Amino acid sequence: MRLDVDNVSYAYADTPALRDVSLTINGGGSLVALAGPNGSGKSTLLKLIARVAAPTNGEVRLDQKRASDWPAKEYAKRVGYLPQDPDPAFPMRAIDVVVTGRAPFLRRFEFEKETDYAHAEEALAMCDASHLAERYLDEMSGGERKRIFLARVLAGSPRLILLDEPFASLDVAHVQQVSLLLRGIVDRTGATVIFASHDLNWAAAYSDRMLVMRSGTLARDAAPAEVMRKEVVRELFGFDAEIVERNGRQWLIPLQP
Amino acid sequence: MGETALTGGRAPGSMLRPLLLLTLILLAAVALAVAIGATSVSWHDLVAGDETARTIVLRIRLPRAIAGVLIGAILAVAGVTFQTLLRNPLADPFILGVSGGAACGAAVASAFGLARIPGVVPVIAFAGAIGATLAVFLLARRRGHTDATRLLLSGLVLNALFSALILIAFGLAPQNDVNASLRWMIGTLAGATWNDALLLAVLFFAAIIALVFIANDLRLLAFGEDDARSRGVNVERVKLIGFGAASIITGAAVAVAGIIGFVGLLVPHLIRLMWRRDFRFLLPLCAIAGGALLVASDLVSRVIIAPAELPVGAFTALLGVPFFLSLLRRER
Repeated sequence: MRLDVDNVSYAYADTPALRDVSLTINGGGSLVALAGPNGSGKSTLLKLIARVAAPTNGEVRLDQKRASDWPAKEYAKRVGYLPQDPDPAFPMRAIDVVVTGRAPFLRRFEFEKETDYAHAEEALAMCDASHLAERYLDEMSGGERKRIFLARVLAGSPRLILLDEPFASLDVAHVQQVSLLLRGIVDRTGATVIFASHDLNWAAAYSDRMLVMRSGTLARDAAPAEVMRKEVVRELFGFDAEIVERNGRQWLIPLQP
Repeated sequence: MGETALTGGRAPGSMLRPLLLLTLILLAAVALAVAIGATSVSWHDLVAGDETARTIVLRIRLPRAIAGVLIGAILAVAGVTFQTLLRNPLADPFILGVSGGAACGAAVASAFGLARIPGVVPVIAFAGAIGATLAVFLLARRRGHTDATRLLLSGLVLNALFSALILIAFGLAPQNDVNASLRWMIGTLAGATWNDALLLAVLFFAAIIALVFIANDLRLLAFGEDDARSRGVNVERVKLIGFGAASIITGAAVAVAGIIGFVGLLVPHLIRLMWRRDFRFLLPLCAIAGGALLVASDLVSRVIIAPAELPVGAFTALLGVPFFLSLLRRER
């Protein structure tokens, strides 16, 4: 899997959201954090990569081919996207939600086959959620729902997985759980995960590479240890912080002015 | 994990039982609607070729029952389609104002004597329904979401506007055209002809074909437009076909029988309660259940105060309002 984002810009009506963003991800098996404050363009960048929207300028290429040149369903088989707050408008069982992850593989008039359900069950198991299969989504906790939607993305076995704020609105225990799960997914499937997170600590602690966004531009593309430094934090985010190291990971503690 | 327990109820084969059950109910409702009425007709007379019996059954009750099946099916299908497209279980052609738009077109046309020209009323009703759908779409949506409050408010406002337009048209029209245009305000199957049934059937089956064509994509819209797009769905095309089909069949139903409310709300709601399936399952089940419900309601409203009859629209509203209120309470 190779992803190229090449000088991409995007504007909502007249409001620019992204300016000249370029990056390349080559090869699978890594966890990439897309960090940056709210409104810095993280979600927009994920949408452009997910082919939900087309860039105003520049291009997104998957395996050397422009995203818009891919047949929609072929692209969807390779790239799985989880929006920030997905919500089926009607009550649905977890298994029925997860199996919709197989949609790109179905022909126009085709219903899900047993193999699609097998993929869905496997994905649920990978997310430690097999026991939730028959439960209804609206009866679940935030962490359980998150796992169901992760399983939905995994059911399509994409090579590139895009997650918009997977840790938002989860408590610390669930953040740990979901992050371990992401690591497991990357290790087991060899897929690449790009996850957006406005929380620098989570972004750094759970990634191999950090893309830091600032007001619509890509401000840094580096290893977490290089981003989590006093002077870099001051430069990128404009506040003073103390950096603490634990088990090879850096944690940031904001200093009171 | 219990493999068979999990997979057993999942395959599309599990649609067969509800389908059979609902079809039996539909056939029973049609049979009763043809057999029962203000005038009693015996099967013996009918088979013997008695002229009155034949007229009552073949020219009055049967076309009325068939039109009822089709209109009920149309309203339920339009309801479930609007609900899926708008991601909102409260959507219904009547509540959204789509029926009102169609009735407004038909009533204004007949107030000015245009109803005597064949084909004019349905066409103007389609235009009214499509116009109302566009208005709902523009009024109730913000950033890809339709929240329940905006949806209900825009339906309320549109219905108020259409009522006002109808009243103005009445004020300007000659007396006997007023009586003709009142027909579209009152939902009733009385006077439905074989021609009406034919018009409904052609449009209904065309719409069903269009909806089956997009069903696999349309059901994914329940998760939101961005999500559907990321799964390779051509969202704009699905919306165009879905809204177009639902509006046109609503227009046809109103052109024949006027405004009959709540069928599009009640039926998908009941089907979801019992089988909770996605759009691909809801579409056929709602069509059959909608037909059965409307024919049964029409039968009850014909016989309950016989020889006079209640407008069936009044009866469906009595059935539908409690459901609407309970849905509204549960809406978060």
